[in-house]
Amino acid sequence: MRSDSTTAHVVKPALSQADLLYETQQRKSRQFRRNVGLSWGILLLVLFYLFSGQNFLGIKTIHLDYEFIQNNMFFIAGGLGQTLIVSVLSITLATILALLAALGRLSTIPPVYALSTFYVSLIRGTPLYLQIFFFFLALPQLGIVLTGLFAGVLALGLNYGAYMSEIFRAGLASVGKGQREAAMAIGMTPWQTMKRVVLPQALRFAIPPTGNEFIAMTKDSALVSATGFVHEVMWRATRVGRAQFHNLEALIMAAVFYWLMTLLLSYVQSIIETRLSKGDR
Amino acid sequence: MAPIVRISNLDKYFGRLQVLKQVTTEVAPREVVCIIGRSGSGKSTLLRCINFLEEPSFGTIEVDGLKVEAGTRGKEHRQLVHDVRLKTGMVFQEFNLFPHMSVLENVIEGPVTVKRMDRAKALELAEENLDSVGLLFKKDEYPNRLSGGQKQRVAIARALTMEPKVMLFDEPTSALDPELIGEVLNVMKKVAKDGMTMLVVTHEMGFAREVADRVLVMADGEIIEDEKPDQLFDKPSDPRTKALIDRYRTGSG
Repeated sequence: MRSDSTTAHVVKPALSQADLLYETQQRKSRQFRRNVGLSWGILLLVLFYLFSGQNFLGIKTIHLDYEFIQNNMFFIAGGLGQTLIVSVLSITLATILALLAALGRLSTIPPVYALSTFYVSLIRGTPLYLQIFFFFLALPQLGIVLTGLFAGVLALGLNYGAYMSEIFRAGLASVGKGQREAAMAIGMTPWQTMKRVVLPQALRFAIPPTGNEFIAMTKDSALVSATGFVHEVMWRATRVGRAQFHNLEALIMAAVFYWLMTLLLSYVQSIIETRLSKGDR
Repeated sequence: MAPIVRISNLDKYFGRLQVLKQVTTEVAPREVVCIIGRSGSGKSTLLRCINFLEEPSFGTIEVDGLKVEAGTRGKEHRQLVHDVRLKTGMVFQEFNLFPHMSVLENVIEGPVTVKRMDRAKALELAEENLDSVGLLFKKDEYPNRLSGGQKQRVAIARALTMEPKVMLFDEPTSALDPELIGEVLNVMKKVAKDGMTMLVVTHEMGFAREVADRVLVMADGEIIEDEKPDQLFDKPSDPRTKALIDRYRTGSG
């Protein structure tokens, strides 16, 4: 038989058992993701509908003043920059304090260890709201007058630093004893061991949870509005809301802005995380 | 020849438990000494006392003319310990490569950071040593991309690149899959053949018999035998040594 006459009979290689199982698995996970997405869409639609002001099947929905929204949307969104500035400054301060507090917890010098635990205990034992007011309203009585922004950043930074010290402590603890021993065995000093071997690994461990803290902080930065002098999203929302008795619309707008901001930041964080987990770990 | 390592009357306590009891021994230059014994016999602790990863409680350690008294404190003592560590290379059971550095970075880290060696010179030396353990082609990989045997060979290259006088091996093949043990032992044989002084804590009786000049047997924190391998494996004098060797014979078939 000539070979070209057999071309019509070429049999596709049959899918193996493993291929079939893999296919099924993939299909299932695709279906799951698609259905979750669909459900999210429906929930969003329901939420929109709840605020549409329409009457449907005798269900009265909430009527919003869209003219007010249109007129004040940009004013409130204008606070996003301030919100981000407060958050970035505070997380920077918090990260430094957290790292120092975590290193203090490793210290064998009693006063250093005590200072670290004292700081964490004092800050975690008092409300953030109180701390913000303390720096802004109580310090002037002692002749120390801080701007709203400065008082807010100081309070947020100190507060988050105390909580985040646990993250860095866990990061330092995640670096095994063997790593320190290997560094010591090649003659590294304790400082070189910390700088070249322990910290790089601990910080990598700490980056994702620090991202979470940053996202949480963008929302807690709203508390700084209480000083009345930082014109971030929350301050602007309460200002126009109260003045025109449209708190509902104003707060919904602020909520949407915060939500969008955290969604965006979460997305950025997930990119950083995949990049970190890839390759050299 | 004058010994390069001298261990005198070494005691080590962990809390109230005495794990080393008046251990005294010497190692000559270019000598390969294997230390065997059941787990808990103190063999790893003895090795780790030599470069002060464990601080001995009493006694003295002398490495290449540097004499360190146990139990002393202070700046002078720290400097001595540092100098001893520069003269000793250590290979760990768990490899302990730095996961955030590539293979090449792992190997030059010591020379560049600790010895302040010129980077180009460190690279040259590192590549030479990676080549001799057969892993130059992996120099840009990160440790998590290597097999256990490859990791341990990199760890040996890392220690060698510090140009130590003595190499300490702490159960270098105990964490490896059986099929990967051979490649590490072969590298160690090569290091021995090149004239390195070696102290090897191991369970590999075949290696001890073939490569060691002397075998120390430890039990309950003491050296109970110190013999040439043929003598030791063929005619062990202490019943505890005989039991230890028999266990490996039946164990490995």
